[in-house]
Amino acid sequence: MIDPTLAVPLADRLLAMADDELILAHRNSEWAGHGPILEEDIAFANIALDEMGHAAIWYGLRGDITGEDTDRLVFFRNAGQYRNVQMVELPHGDWAFSMLRQYLFDAAESIWLGQLAASGYEPLAQAAAKIATEERYHLRHTSLWLRRLGLGTAESHARLQTALDALWPYARQLFVPLPGDAALVAAGILPDPAALAHEWHGRARPYLTECGLILPDETPPRRDIPRTEHTEHLMELLAVMQSVARLDPAAEW
Amino acid sequence: MNDQWPRYEVFKQERDGGPFRNVGSVHAPDAEMALLNARDVFARRPACRCLWVVPAAAIVATPIVVNAAGDAEPADASGPLEPYAVCGKSSERQAMTYVDYLGRVEARSAAEALRAAPALGAARIWWVFPERVISRSDPEDAPGLEAATGKLFRMSNQYHTVVTMQKIRRGDEGEE
Repeated sequence: MIDPTLAVPLADRLLAMADDELILAHRNSEWAGHGPILEEDIAFANIALDEMGHAAIWYGLRGDITGEDTDRLVFFRNAGQYRNVQMVELPHGDWAFSMLRQYLFDAAESIWLGQLAASGYEPLAQAAAKIATEERYHLRHTSLWLRRLGLGTAESHARLQTALDALWPYARQLFVPLPGDAALVAAGILPDPAALAHEWHGRARPYLTECGLILPDETPPRRDIPRTEHTEHLMELLAVMQSVARLDPAAEW
Repeated sequence: MNDQWPRYEVFKQERDGGPFRNVGSVHAPDAEMALLNARDVFARRPACRCLWVVPAAAIVATPIVVNAAGDAEPADASGPLEPYAVCGKSSERQAMTYVDYLGRVEARSAAEALRAAPALGAARIWWVFPERVISRSDPEDAPGLEAATGKLFRMSNQYHTVVTMQKIRRGDEGEE
């Protein structure tokens, strides 16, 4: 059982994790039927489905604490109630943009999962260890694509660099702590997001450079954007994703 | 001009120690990507322990198509003696006919390997290729290939839709 004073912070953190996965999964699913080749279409749809599965796990763990129903959380919250980072709600852009976004997310997620597997909250630790197997494949897949796009033709390189220039400032939000995180870190439930950010930079920066990319200048750094703030793109995404469920909220499926 | 990526034939092993069987092909820019694509296309729903990908261009198959020079067999190259994989398709009756990996022979060319192939079994169609062109999945990756049986949301029987639609069609919706 979770210490009652930690229940709200943990439920908040789980919601943030679940929302990141869900919104990214939805954006990626928009490529279904539009991938550059059939094999890649299948592979990326698989990745989208995996992320949706991860979201379901995190929502489920939140539900164990709060009693909430996953479908209600997904289909009946408004944009202002979502807690995903802005990076995942941006439109899918071109293939380079979607691959790069997925890479940045995968690299962050694999670091989060590695540490969460040692969480003092057993259900979280178990789920993290399970998810890590799939995440390893995602990271490999996107890493290979980045290398090929970055070191490929002049056009593929230019598109990937454009994607990095656009996405890099958003990526750091993946490590911005939530107000309740400090208590979870102190209790050994959550790794310290600042330490994870450091590790992520240590891995992502050299890899992106290896792919022939130039990291955008970050001076002055952007302010820390809270997860309560969203772009207009989230509203459009939710309108599509929730439209069927909201037609008949009592419907069964 | 051909703008397609090269084709790789995919062999799948369902369980430890089980046979390798050709299950289809993927297109990919190289073997590394071919293995990843093969996982997404051929593993995870069905059981899978190990995958091989083989560049289709490296496979010599029977019946051998007569080439422009009129040769009915691939020319005997004077290559080094090396292991060739021998695969055979034994039936043409099933809707899905598979090419199974039967074993290896030592040969200096594909032609020599084809001549030696019948020692490994009976088949209607033979495939041979040097074993060095096989790219194998890492044994450490086996957990990522296994059937994702825990993902119930992937399965249509996890949703009430089918049952509900049957009820509606029978006109007894709402009745128990």
